[in-house]
Amino acid sequence: MNRAWNSTLWLLSGLMARPASAAALLFLAAMVIVSLFADLLPIDPFAQRLTDALKGPSAANWFGTDELGRDIFARVIYGARTSLSTAAAAVVIAASVGIPVGLVAGFFGDWRDTVLMRFIDVLLALPAILFAMALIAVLGRSQMAAFIAVGITGIPNFARITRARVLSLRKSDFVTAVEAFGGSSGYNMFRTILPNAWSPILVQVVVLCSVAILLEAALAFLGVGVAPPTPSWGEMLRTGKSYLYEAPYYAVLPGVILTLTILSFDVIGRALASLLEDRHDAGGVQIERTAS
Amino acid sequence: MIGFVLRRLVQLVPVLLIASLGIWAILYAVPGGPVAGLVGENATPEQIAAVTAQYGLDRPVVVQYLDWLRRAAVGDLGVSIYASEPVVDLIGQRLPATLHLAVAATLVALALGIPVGVISAISPGSWIDRALSAWSALALGVPTFWLGILLILWFAVDLRWLPAVSGYVPIWEEPLTAIRNLLLPAITLGVYVSGILARFLRASLVSELRADYVRTARAKGLPERQVVGIHIMRNALLPFITIVGLMMASFIGGAVVTEAVFTYPGLGRLLIQAISTRDYPLIQGCIVVILILYVAINLAVDVLYAYVDPRIDYG
Repeated sequence: MNRAWNSTLWLLSGLMARPASAAALLFLAAMVIVSLFADLLPIDPFAQRLTDALKGPSAANWFGTDELGRDIFARVIYGARTSLSTAAAAVVIAASVGIPVGLVAGFFGDWRDTVLMRFIDVLLALPAILFAMALIAVLGRSQMAAFIAVGITGIPNFARITRARVLSLRKSDFVTAVEAFGGSSGYNMFRTILPNAWSPILVQVVVLCSVAILLEAALAFLGVGVAPPTPSWGEMLRTGKSYLYEAPYYAVLPGVILTLTILSFDVIGRALASLLEDRHDAGGVQIERTAS
Repeated sequence: MIGFVLRRLVQLVPVLLIASLGIWAILYAVPGGPVAGLVGENATPEQIAAVTAQYGLDRPVVVQYLDWLRRAAVGDLGVSIYASEPVVDLIGQRLPATLHLAVAATLVALALGIPVGVISAISPGSWIDRALSAWSALALGVPTFWLGILLILWFAVDLRWLPAVSGYVPIWEEPLTAIRNLLLPAITLGVYVSGILARFLRASLVSELRADYVRTARAKGLPERQVVGIHIMRNALLPFITIVGLMMASFIGGAVVTEAVFTYPGLGRLLIQAISTRDYPLIQGCIVVILILYVAINLAVDVLYAYVDPRIDYG
């Protein structure tokens, strides 16, 4: 545990030493804190005042009001909850399936590898957004459906990155030593190899956060994300697009926050990858997403 | 060469089979499948039974799948439930629009991505390299639908130069109108991809710059323009073909969001409509066609690659 604590401190100080990643880290920390404690703030994302509909930014409504007179700033704050919780759920789903798949495939390398990786190939063949939409068509529109859809699309990258790392560690002396001492395959995979494979996985976690937030927003923009009135940035852009002439700020301001959040995760992901690459092999780090 | 293409075509069959099976499994194995969407919430058990029988959904799933597969193999993807038209016709109407957008977006991506990649590779680490890298990061990070909205606000709402809603006009009928309609969606998609292209080209050029043959070319006293323009570009552009192909392939299915922003009548929007109306034959048809195009473009890229690079053995 002490080692994990030291590594965390080392990474944080590494990130804070670079201006871009320090700014990104502070921005995300602020977003997390604000969305966690949004209930304590004197804002209400659901209160409608139809007489004040589509009013531009003012001292009372920093980001203006929407078509129902709701405070856009409050909805952006609560939208952060939707975005960040989707990112967290997606990471949990993708990692808890993808990492074991990659471990087993890379460790045994026999028919298990072939079967598992063909599965992963099929998941990769469809663009993530199409897969998520098809899944939501079946599951119905809900926050849980969005979690699952976004989470499943993240599985292949975790599996492939873990597998690649396992393959390079598999023949290491310390792994052979554990085998020679009679350590079980499970022990070897989870207690010996996995702790040494965390750096590319960590980078992938950050990358998936950015991908998940973008995908959630895209789904909401298409009208298949979380159901209204739950605030979501993508949903706000979708509605705001109908009022481009009357209220251009409506579609612009939530987009600024969405973009800054995605860019922050990208910046941190890249900074982490280069920090870890300097220390040890971070594996094939994939930052690129498919076009949406 | 022909043998290579044939072998690759044969390899496609299992991929398409597995993928189509996967789509079937998702759409049909989950409770609340097509019938629930068709009959509505207040249907009587008799109505449900009638609709189930009408679409042959009372047969075992394996039989249904094999039947669908048998028809799909000869180009019959069934009839759309909502539009009551053959799925193949509906897709055929939308395909040209999607291909127009894919080509236009690729052109924008190349026009933006190649100069950015080359300029930043020539002087790695300089301020211009860092500025261009930041631009690539921005191009990759800005959500396409937000960029699309900003472009509409600027060019359609403020300046009134271009339409806010992009229709499909065949380029060979009215070239100017077609370009006016395609410009904003193509920029929206192309900017994002130019970020990937620029980053890729830069990395591939920087590694080529260190190669032995470059040192030889310089030692011979060739002007730098010739070293970069002829010797390096030819080698650096090879892997680039793959990336461009992958990009085009991803435009076919991945342009869903961009098409939604500009209400552009492409394949992606057809799929969204199909999903929102739970039109299962149409959903399946769209996804299968997108997959076929996707693998076909990948195949074309592989063939082109083997053709361009004499070092690749395709025998």
